[in-house]
Order: sequence, then structure tokens, then C-alpha cells
Amino acid sequence: MESLAQSLNAGAIAPEAAILIALLACLLADLAGERTAARLVPPFCYVGLGTSLVLLALQWSEPTADAFFSSFITDNLGVAFRAVVATSTLLSLLISWRYVERAGTPVGEYAAILMAATVGAMLLCGATDLVSIFVALETLSVSSYLLSGYMKRDARSSEAALKYLLVGSAAAAVFLYGTSLLYGVSGGSTNLDAITISLQGAGVTPLSALALVFVLATVAFKISAVPFHQWTPDVYEGSPTPVVAFLSVGSKAAGFALALRLLVGCFESFQTQWQLLFTVLAVLSMTLGNVVALAQTSMKRMLAYSSIGQAGFVMIGLVCGTEEGFAAMVLYMAAYLFMNLGAFACVILFSLRTGSDRISDYAGLYQKDPLITLGLSLCLLSLGGIPPMLGFFSKIYLFFAGWADGQYLLVVVGLVTSVVSIYYYISVIKMMVVKEPQEASDVIKDYPAPTWNLPGLQPLRAALVFCVAVTAIGGVLSNPLFTWANAAVEGTPLLQQVISNGGHLPTG
Amino acid sequence: MPPLAEITQLIVFGVLALAVVVGALGVVMLPNIVYAAFLLGGVFLSVAGLYLMLNASFIAAAQILIYVGAVNVLILFAIMLVNKKEAMGASPGVGLRRVLSTGVCIGLFALLLRVAFSTPWATPGPAAIGEDAVIRLGEHFFSDYLLPFELASVLLLMAMIGAIVLARRDVLATDIGTGESVDQGLIEKARTPLLMEKP
Repeated sequence: MESLAQSLNAGAIAPEAAILIALLACLLADLAGERTAARLVPPFCYVGLGTSLVLLALQWSEPTADAFFSSFITDNLGVAFRAVVATSTLLSLLISWRYVERAGTPVGEYAAILMAATVGAMLLCGATDLVSIFVALETLSVSSYLLSGYMKRDARSSEAALKYLLVGSAAAAVFLYGTSLLYGVSGGSTNLDAITISLQGAGVTPLSALALVFVLATVAFKISAVPFHQWTPDVYEGSPTPVVAFLSVGSKAAGFALALRLLVGCFESFQTQWQLLFTVLAVLSMTLGNVVALAQTSMKRMLAYSSIGQAGFVMIGLVCGTEEGFAAMVLYMAAYLFMNLGAFACVILFSLRTGSDRISDYAGLYQKDPLITLGLSLCLLSLGGIPPMLGFFSKIYLFFAGWADGQYLLVVVGLVTSVVSIYYYISVIKMMVVKEPQEASDVIKDYPAPTWNLPGLQPLRAALVFCVAVTAIGGVLSNPLFTWANAAVEGTPLLQQVISNGGHLPTG
Repeated sequence: MPPLAEITQLIVFGVLALAVVVGALGVVMLPNIVYAAFLLGGVFLSVAGLYLMLNASFIAAAQILIYVGAVNVLILFAIMLVNKKEAMGASPGVGLRRVLSTGVCIGLFALLLRVAFSTPWATPGPAAIGEDAVIRLGEHFFSDYLLPFELASVLLLMAMIGAIVLARRDVLATDIGTGESVDQGLIEKARTPLLMEKP
């Protein structure tokens, strides 16, 4: 039995196990009644996610190892994306407590479902077996459907859950069809390495092209790339705001990790084809996401469209297929984590105090609440890519990587749409800052005096200040993040192999 | 003259395939939802028959237990509980939509056919192991598919808890922090039109 335990290498999923234990603890605490749960669940979550992050940091320096008979791999890329997912959950939970209590929905189950989504997303980042990938994907998706419908007395929330469920199930079915084709191509293996070898051997056949299209459609659905984005605005508008914060960062990071494993790793011999497809997706996402965001009146909807545009920027790094491209992708995901969650923390705090998320209701906010105004301004400027914020440096790195690889079309579209995005981000800031007191909206005129004494508001403030601080200072002190992103790519045999093959062709 | 066993197999396959195709078309096309649900059960049973022909008796039994026994019965229960008499009103442009979706489906079908016939499949596959399949499955579950097997339990646990949370009638609808009664809706309230605000 000793040999079986050793060959399992179960320590590889210790970070997920920590979260799972916290999840069970939350469910048990919930049995003791709603009040006890509200007191006990937050510390359980902090301990679980904190332990998970520490264990991930320990895995970082370890050499790459296979686990569960090559169902799972602990390369630096996987560890980096798992850390992004776990951090996004931790920050989303910090900003959710007050929101969930204010809505009168159970806290323990909320935390448990969100942590189950995290476990699924984290396993998705490291899974190297089609069955594991599918089960992890479903764990993430089913938990996401439940979370979007969590405010069950609200028709908008139920609508969001139903739409997400129907579209997501269709995407899962398409993915299953694609994986069944891959299973056939490889002659009966679900392991990604075996599939890579047989795809290389077979060359470009109609069968493998069809499998590529099906798998790519699912990946595009998960990262909500245009034209697979139709679910995003409605789901983001109807879901509870902290859930949107998790979906826009954690779920998307898992989607990009899946894209790297499947497309870069598995479909390496199809590089020209999928790069071309992703170029089209990236151009469409950047254009449509940023242009449609201009016309939005709801803050959540605007951030939904902006997240579609941001995913388009990240795809530039994916299309490059160079060392800088992958590193820029990891860096941008990490930067996006802080700036987007910072923006969501401000939006949640504003809607807690006013019950509104309309952009026009932000008019004149700076006189009543300087903290939200400052935080939201910094995060939106960073999302727009204004120096010296964190977003500027990561975006410039992304464009630099794209330009060096000859993806001129993508970089030019990216630059133009960045300018468009700056327009709508700045118009929110202008709404908050420039308006005279008499021009302030009705909501602002009745704005309550900021208090922090209710339970759950202190964690929100901590998360807000932390995210805004990282966004603002991280730009100047971004060297550790650069080193981290480069190490993530260097410590990943899969990516190193693709880079050293260097068979990329400029498609832009 | 092929041996009798092969002819029997061919006939059984033809009948089952016909049942699957006709049943599936009926599920999509029949306007009466009860007929559609029963036909879906027939489709599931026929698919189980196909599994049996492939010597996969365990999968066939699982198919009947899960799809016919659980999923289909659940669908019938849902129909019974809703029990709506009036037909849905025709939405605008439904004819055009039907034509479009038929076109897309036929195109997809043609594509799949082309791929299926142009691929040199590695037939015949590995020999069927028949009754030993259960043992082989168990071995896989506790060796190389241990991770997805265990993760599936997390998935099921979460689906169960989520279903209960969404379906139960809450006794608690108060804000724990302030003690106010709340409505379990989104914090961002839909804006009421101006005319409604001041009577």
C-alpha cells in the first residue's frame, strides 16, 4: 500500500483539501443556526483559504510533479493560476458578508458553494486528464449557477441562474462531444499527453479539426469571448455583486488555464489554426466589449462588458505563444484580480449604502464618500491602463509581447479599444468628482453618513483598501510581480516545450 | 448467407436505431409536453439497448436506472406539478426562427456525417470484456480516475445543498446585522418609474 500512496502523490492537491475542509466546517457551523454561522463561517473561510495559499506558496519552489496517475500536475503555471483563483475567492468572500446578510440569505451555504466553485476552478487549473477536466469544470459551473440564483426571491437573479444554466449546459455538452472525439483520436486514452502525441501523429484531419472547434467553443464560453458572450451581461446584472466579482476573475482565470492546457499543450500541432481563431475572438471581444460598454447605464453591466474587453486583451498573450506572451498573460490576470475586485468592492459598498448601481446615481459622490470615490477612481483608471497604475504596466507588457511577436493587428486593435475604454471609465470618474453639489443625484443627496460598525463592513473595508493599495502602488513596485510571472512560465515544462519549438507563425 | 446471429444483431440494431431517431425527433417536434417526456423515456431505453448490444451491460443498467428511473420520472413529476393548460402564445418570427434552426441543425448534421465517414476509425476496438466490466471500472475508480471520482462527490454534495437552498421556504428573512426584515433580493433595487414614486 505504501507504493500506491506514493504514486498517488496526494500532497499535490493539499491546497484544495484545505479549502474542502473549510467548506465542510462551514456546513457544520451552519447547523448551529444562522447567528452562530454568521459569526463562525468567516474565520473558517479565512483559515481555509489562507492555508491553501500558504500550501500553494510551498508548492511553488517544488519541482513539477505528476499526481493521481497523471490526472493532475503541479507546474508553476498551475500553481500561479490556482493562487489567482484562491485569492479572488478570499477577496470576494471578504466583500460578500455584508451583502449576503443584508439580503437575508444564509451565509454558511453561500460560503460553502463559493468554496466548492473554488475547488473546481483550482483543480481545473492543474488537471491533465479529460475526465478530471470535465468534472472540475462541472463543479465550477454548477456552483456558479447556484450562486447566480442565490438571491432567489429576486426575479432578476433567477433569470440569471436559468440563462447561465441553459447556456452552460449546452457548452458542457459541446465540450463532451469534443472530448469524445479526442478520446477516439487517441485510441482510447483520456490523458492529455497521450492525446497530444496522437494528434501530432495524425496531422490535420477533419476529425481533429472538429474536436478543436468544439473544445475551443467551450473555452471561449468560459472566458466569455465574443461571440460566446451573450450570457455574460444578463448573468452579471442579475447575480449578486460579490458573485459577479468571483465569476469575472476566478472563473475566468480557470478558463484561461484550461485554454493553456488544452490549446497550447494538446493542440500544439494545430497552432496556426487555433491562433487564427483566437485572433478573431480577441479582436471581436476587444471591439464589442469596449464599444458596447460605452452605452451602459448600470455599473454592473458596464463592468460585465468591460470584463469581456479585458478578456480580449489577455487573449493577445495567448495568441503570441512566446515566453513574454505567456508571462504577460499571467501578469495581466494577477493585475486584473486586484483592480477588478477593488472596483467591485467599491460598487458593493455603494449599493449597500444607497441600494443603487446606476452610473448616474454616482453623481457628486466625492463630497459624501471620499473613500469609495478614491478607490473606484484608482481601480477604473488602472483598468483603463493609465500610468502609473498596475494595469498600465501589465497592459504595456502585453502589447509589447504582442508587438515583438508580430501580432500587429491585435496590438493596434488593443490600443484603439483601450482608448475607448478609458473614455467610459473616465466618464464614471467625472460623474463622481466633477459634479457640483447641486448637481448631485437624489441618491447622493440622501447619502447616509459612512459607518463601519455593522458586522461584515470591516472585512469589506480591508479588502477594498488592500485591492486599491495594490492597484495604486503595485504599478511602481511591480518588479516582484514581473519576476513571479516569468517564473511561472519558466517553471512550466509544457510552456517551455512550446516556446522552444518556436513553430509560431504570425497570424495578425 | 451470413450466420443467423449476425442477421439478428443487424435487425435489432436497426429497430433500436429507428426507435432512437424517431423518438428523438418526436421529443423535439411534438407540441404536447407529456408525449415528449414519454418519448424521451423511450429514447433512453433504446440507447440502453444499444449499450447492451455492445456488451456493456453495466452501462446499460446504469442508463436505465439513472435516465429512465430518475431523470425521466423527475421530468414527468415536474410536468404534473406545473400542469398548465393554456398553450404558449406564438412569439413573433417563430417561422423564420424554425427555418433558421433547421438549417443550422442540418448543416451540423452534414458536417458530423462527413467527419464520421472520412475518418479511418480504428475498428474493431478493444475486445468487449462483458461481465468483467464492473471489476475493471472499480479498479479505474480507485487508481487512475481517483481524482475525478472523489471530485464528483464534492460536485454532488454541492448540487444537493444548492438545490435545497434554492427550493426551501426560508424561515429566516432578517438581516442578522441590524435585525431588519429583508426580502432576499438583490441589494440593487430596480428603479421604479418617476410617475409611480409620488402619487
